[in-house]
Amino acid sequence: MLEVNELRKVYNSGLIEVEALKGVSFRIDDGEMVAIMGPSGSGKSTMMHLLGCLDHPTSGSYLLDGKDVSGFDDNGLAEIRNKKIGFVFQQFNLLAKTSILHNVEVPLIYAGVGRKKRRKIATDVLTKVGLGHRLDHHPNEISGGQKQRVAVARALVNNPSLILADEPTGNLDSKTGDEIMELFHQLNDQGHTIVLVTHSDEIADHADRTIRLLDGELVKG
Amino acid sequence: MFFETINIALRGLSANKLRTFLSMLGIIIGVGAVITIVSIGTGSQQQIISQISNLGSNLININRGFTRGWGGRVSSDANVSFTLEMRDYIQESSPAIKNIIANAQGQGLFIQGENNIRANLVGTEGVYQDINIYQPQEGRFINSRDIEDRANVIVLGAELAQELFEDDNSIGRTVRFNQSNSTFIFTIIGIMEDRERGMMGDFNNQAYIPITTYLDRIANSNEVDGFIAQTYSSNQATEAVNQINYFFEMYAGDSSSVRITSQDQILDTMNDINRSLSLMLGGIAAISLVVGGIGIMNIMLVSVTERTREIGIRKALGAKKKDILVQFLIESLALSGIGGILGVGVGYGGAYLISKIGDWPFIISPPAVIIAFSFSLVIGMFFGIYPAVKAAKLEPVEALSYE
Repeated sequence: MLEVNELRKVYNSGLIEVEALKGVSFRIDDGEMVAIMGPSGSGKSTMMHLLGCLDHPTSGSYLLDGKDVSGFDDNGLAEIRNKKIGFVFQQFNLLAKTSILHNVEVPLIYAGVGRKKRRKIATDVLTKVGLGHRLDHHPNEISGGQKQRVAVARALVNNPSLILADEPTGNLDSKTGDEIMELFHQLNDQGHTIVLVTHSDEIADHADRTIRLLDGELVKG
Repeated sequence: MFFETINIALRGLSANKLRTFLSMLGIIIGVGAVITIVSIGTGSQQQIISQISNLGSNLININRGFTRGWGGRVSSDANVSFTLEMRDYIQESSPAIKNIIANAQGQGLFIQGENNIRANLVGTEGVYQDINIYQPQEGRFINSRDIEDRANVIVLGAELAQELFEDDNSIGRTVRFNQSNSTFIFTIIGIMEDRERGMMGDFNNQAYIPITTYLDRIANSNEVDGFIAQTYSSNQATEAVNQINYFFEMYAGDSSSVRITSQDQILDTMNDINRSLSLMLGGIAAISLVVGGIGIMNIMLVSVTERTREIGIRKALGAKKKDILVQFLIESLALSGIGGILGVGVGYGGAYLISKIGDWPFIISPPAVIIAFSFSLVIGMFFGIYPAVKAAKLEPVEALSYE
C-alpha cells in the first residue's frame, strides 16, 4: 500500500522556482495496477522520481508500506529503492558490459545476498520472464523486447512492494509492447503492485485505474 | 560485498584495456625508476666498498694537509717534516698499528730500448705488499736488505712490465728512469701480479724501489710524502687515527697540517656521496610517480563522466554513496596497484640491465620495492578520491537522465 499526501516538489534553479507538483494526494492499494498519466510538463516524471524514492519531496508525506519515507536521507532512500521498488525504464538501462545474469544480480549485490543464492534467484527470475536460455548473453546481443524482459526480471529480483514502470513500451514495437504488457498483467495477477507512468492511453487502458496529472495537480474525475 | 565491488571495478578496467594500460604507464615508469635507481645506488656502492677493501682493509693514510699560505708563501704551520724515522715514532704512538711504511713517489719516464713510458715511481718498503695484499707474480718484492743497502733495484707493475718488455723475461735486466734530466738505472728484481685500478692509484702502471734509494738518489731529500699505517683490525682504525693525531699534536704542536684519513672515512665519504645521489635521483623518480597519479586521476574523471548513466542505474537499483565511492576507489587503486606490480618488473629488468652495463653486483633492495609499491597504492588512493567522491555525489535522477 502506498499513499501520498499533499506531495509538493519545487525545483530551484538559480532565480527561477518551478513548482512541479503542487500538493498531490492519492493512494494505491496492494495488488493494484495503476497508470499515472499526463502530458509532458504535467509533473508525471517528478511523481515517478518521488514514488521511486529517487528524489526528496519539498513537502508532504509519502507512505510506503506504512512507513513515511519522505524524510529519509540518501542512504535510507537507497535502501528503500533496493528492497521495495523495482524500476522498469523506457531506455531499459541495463549495464552494457556485463551479462544478463549479472545485470539481474546487481540489486541482490547491493542487498548483500551471497553469490550462490544470488545466482539462483536471478536465474529463476530470468527463467520466469522467458530468458532462462540467455543468461550469459550481453544486452547488445538480444532484442529490445528481451532487454525489457531482463529489466522486468531485474525489477522483480528483490521481490519489491512496488514495480514502477516508466513508459515501458516506449522503445518497443507494438507487438513486443503488447507482450511486455502481458508480462505486467501476469505479475499483477501474481499479486505485484504495478504503477505505469505513461502518456499513452493505450498503455493506461491496461491499468485498473488511471491517475491523471496536469500542471502538477491531480485532474479530478 | 567487498569482493563484489572489486569484481565490478576490475570489470570496468578490463573493458578498456589500452586506456587502462596507458593510464598506468606513469606509475609503471615511476615505480620502475625508483627500484632501478636504488639498485644502481646499492650496486655501485658495493663496487666501491669492494674496491676499497681490495686495497687492504684497515688502512690509514697520513699525508701533509693542504698548506695554508698566502701571497705565494707557504705558511709556516704547514712545516711538519715527514722523515723516514718518523714512521717508527708513529708506530710507537699507537698500539693498534700493526704495520707502517713511509711512502714517496714521483712521475718520470721509464726507458727500455725503443719504449718509453711515463709512469709513477714509488719509493716504499717491504710491508707494502702485506698492506695492499699485493704479491709479485715473478721474482720478489723489496726487502729490508734492499732498504739498508739503498739498492738500485726495481719491481715493476704488471702492465708497465708488459709495455716495456712485451713478453720477454725481464728479471735481472735493467731499466732506465728519467726525471728532471737525470737518468737512473735500476735492476729489475720482480714483476707484480695483475691488480685492478683502485682508490689508491693504478697499481699496474707504476714501479717500486726501496724508499731509501728513492730519497737518496731521486728526491735528494730526507723527507717522505707520507705514511700508510695498517691497524690490527678495522674497528681499531678510529682509535689509531686519534692516537696518531695526538702524536702530531705533541710532536709538531699542531696536527691540523697533517691529514690523517682511514679507509673508513673514505668509505663514509663515498657512501655519503652515493646516498645523496640516490636520494636525489629517487626524488626525481618519485616525482614521476606523482605525475603518474595525476594521469590516473585524469582517466578516472573521464571514466566517471562516461559512466554517469551506469552510476545512475546502480543508484536506482539500491547502490549507496559508499558503494559507488568504493567502486571507483578500488578502480583507481587497481590501476595504480597493477601499474605498481608491472613497475616492479620493469625495475628489476632495468636494474639488471644497468648492473651488467656498469659491471657491478645486481642487488634489489626489498625495502625499495616495498616502499615504491606502497607509494604507488597511496598515490592511486589519493588521486582516486576526488573522482570517486564526484561519482558518489551524483544525484540519481540527474545521473539517470544523462545522455
